[in-house]
Amino acid sequence: MTERVTEQLAVGDVVADHTYWITRENLIRYAGASGDFNPIHWNERVATSVGLPNVIAHGMLTMGLAGRLLTDWLGDPAAVVEYGARFARPVVVPDDDIGVAVRVAAAVTAVRDDGLVALELTVKVDDQKVLTQARALCRLPADRPSQS
Amino acid sequence: MPIDPSVVGRVYPPQFYEVSREKIREFAEAIGDANPAYVDTAAARGYGHGDVVAPPTFMMIIVMNGFDLLMKDLGIEFARVVHVDQRFTYSRSLPVGTRVEATTRLDGVRAVAGNDLLKIRTEVRDEQDGTDVCLSEATLLVRPEDLDGGDASD
Repeated sequence: MTERVTEQLAVGDVVADHTYWITRENLIRYAGASGDFNPIHWNERVATSVGLPNVIAHGMLTMGLAGRLLTDWLGDPAAVVEYGARFARPVVVPDDDIGVAVRVAAAVTAVRDDGLVALELTVKVDDQKVLTQARALCRLPADRPSQS
Repeated sequence: MPIDPSVVGRVYPPQFYEVSREKIREFAEAIGDANPAYVDTAAARGYGHGDVVAPPTFMMIIVMNGFDLLMKDLGIEFARVVHVDQRFTYSRSLPVGTRVEATTRLDGVRAVAGNDLLKIRTEVRDEQDGTDVCLSEATLLVRPEDLDGGDASD
């Protein structure tokens, strides 16, 4: 019998942690790939005219990066059963070559009998949460390698 | 001008979408995601899929098509819109070649501090057998028109 990986997880375990960088170039690529051409994500003049400090990242790009942390950990992208977040604070992207650092960590909030694991994602820029209520429900395959 | 609450309950015509190999690759590259299940059929098969699958947040592309319809219908320009929250509940994976239809419903409108909050529900189903693929629940904040000030020439 293959031991289920869920048996090795406990509430509070941080299963993954990574820092992602977002540059203006990433915003352009994401706009093209997603079809979201809202000018607040690439046009400083429009962004400031609607009261934003500067060009901001697509909320879905930030959520996509945080989702990467999950799928890198899980392996199978389709093992994410539920995924949601609130875009609590705009991620301002400077006009430089470095960009803005987004730190993402995933912690276990519940291990269910049906093999699903609930996770809470902490997503921060400069120690302030940019996503809140960032939660996912994932299915862990029985034969997933048991490294953390 | 605030959005008239009588528009709540509007359902927009289903939007069809076919998941393509190149769009999956382009989207995965845009989020910097090197997971082989997006580009390598053998890797995807290793997880039990028939072919490469889309990343979880790829679903937004499909959902956005319905948002576009709703925005046009209500006369809202995208520069006034801020995404407040987004949740996906997936019933199955989204492999290449899948044809889906997304039905968008305006579930609620609420005025908050001069802005309008729109609750939008999108049901994504397999076009062929009608089975559920994903449920999307989103909130959009629409800023009032007057903040756009003098930029109407865009």
